[in-house]
Amino acid sequence: MGKKFVVPFGSQHIAIPEPIRFIFTTENEIIKSVSVDFGYVHRGIEKACMTRYKYTQVPYVVARVCGLCAVSQATAYCMAIESLMDIEIPERAKYLRIIVHEMDRIHSHLFAIAHLSEAAGYENLFMRVMRDREFVMECLEILTGNRIQADYSTIGGVNRDLTKEVYEILKPRLDELERRLYELKEIFERDYTLQKKWKGIGVITLEMAQKYNAVGPVARASGLATDCRVEFEYLPYKELDYKMVLYQEGDVWARNMVRLDETLVSIRVLKNAIDNLPEGDIKVKVKGNPKGEALIRWEAPRGELLYYVKGNGKSVLERLRIKTPTFSVIPVMKELYYNQPYAFVPDITISFDPCLSCSAR
Amino acid sequence: MKNFEEIQVSLSELREAIKRFYKPEEWHFITINGTDVGDGIEIKYFFAAYGKSKKVKAFSLKIDYNQTIPSIRDIIPSAWIAEEELKDLLGVNVEGTKGGIFLEPDSPQAPLRREVKNG
Repeated sequence: MGKKFVVPFGSQHIAIPEPIRFIFTTENEIIKSVSVDFGYVHRGIEKACMTRYKYTQVPYVVARVCGLCAVSQATAYCMAIESLMDIEIPERAKYLRIIVHEMDRIHSHLFAIAHLSEAAGYENLFMRVMRDREFVMECLEILTGNRIQADYSTIGGVNRDLTKEVYEILKPRLDELERRLYELKEIFERDYTLQKKWKGIGVITLEMAQKYNAVGPVARASGLATDCRVEFEYLPYKELDYKMVLYQEGDVWARNMVRLDETLVSIRVLKNAIDNLPEGDIKVKVKGNPKGEALIRWEAPRGELLYYVKGNGKSVLERLRIKTPTFSVIPVMKELYYNQPYAFVPDITISFDPCLSCSAR
Repeated sequence: MKNFEEIQVSLSELREAIKRFYKPEEWHFITINGTDVGDGIEIKYFFAAYGKSKKVKAFSLKIDYNQTIPSIRDIIPSAWIAEEELKDLLGVNVEGTKGGIFLEPDSPQAPLRREVKNG
């Protein structure tokens, strides 16, 4: 038996931009036990939405749950309320939500890919991915008015239309971004060092993904076919040639490749949505207060996002519950560390693309 | 109105009902939600069927503030995180929870209880 060492990882660690603390007990540098604490950034957002804000103001509050997937947070909330109040939004608004939502996914995935590259020691690749990400950030700014935290969705539709002028700007940028993403894919598929570093590392089997209820790219990298875009059909993805990306390996490499392939799927979906954008209004008027219960399962960039709302006929909700994707992958992440060399911890952790602000809310 | 199927269970039936129902290859455990309804806590265990459009099921029960609920983490290993959240944010006693994962020691305790005012 080797000597035991207790190694703290976080609460501030260079590998993760947000606070989380793991306490690893290692023996000969192999992890034998782990505990986790991630409540450093609890902001009481659910409480605020149940006491301080009217249900019509809440989309602009929940958009602050996360910087990267703000569009997902606000739109998922709006759709839960629309389901509860039986509001049918215009077809054009549904397509516009898909366009912005998929742009959100592309920039979130590219951020995760860049971050993982940096942790592997590839600073140049990090900068290249972040440079290419700028294309989608600019598209988001042109379309929504903001690079991040766009308050795009509102209850009943969206706040801003896609005009012909915006279309003319978006189209060539998306074509160029797609070309660059294919180049990136080739780099990740061919680079010898990255394959040696990531293949076979941090493997989550299909059984493990099911047992610990993994979600999003983490689940799909292990062959678990789960995607709320298919399972909950909250927006018309079927009309836009959406196909789920699945890998079987379950390792760090597969989680990265799922995200990369998903950016290409998103480009195809959003190009189809732009080209087939229905004519008409972008929002409908909303009257009354919500009464009853409803939920939505939404495929945020990191996986399943749940919004559960309960109203009692007043303007302030009785309950708003947000279950974020990282909340769902922490159990499998914790389990995965057992019997791994401590040296793999940064790559494994970042391959989950964790978001602690989301989880703590 | 509700857009999910709800099954009411009693506290004594809860574990057995989930044990009989849950198959990890068929059902995805989403989370547990607690709501302070004024005279107790309403708790819902949410599940979604893999691949089946919009099929969401919830096992639901209501408890008094001081009642203890059994843990289901031996049936669903990933449930520990939702149980810890119930403990921290709503002050629900769940067997086997230690608390303190979602909140720091100087935070307001059980902030989602109605009597805790928003500061």
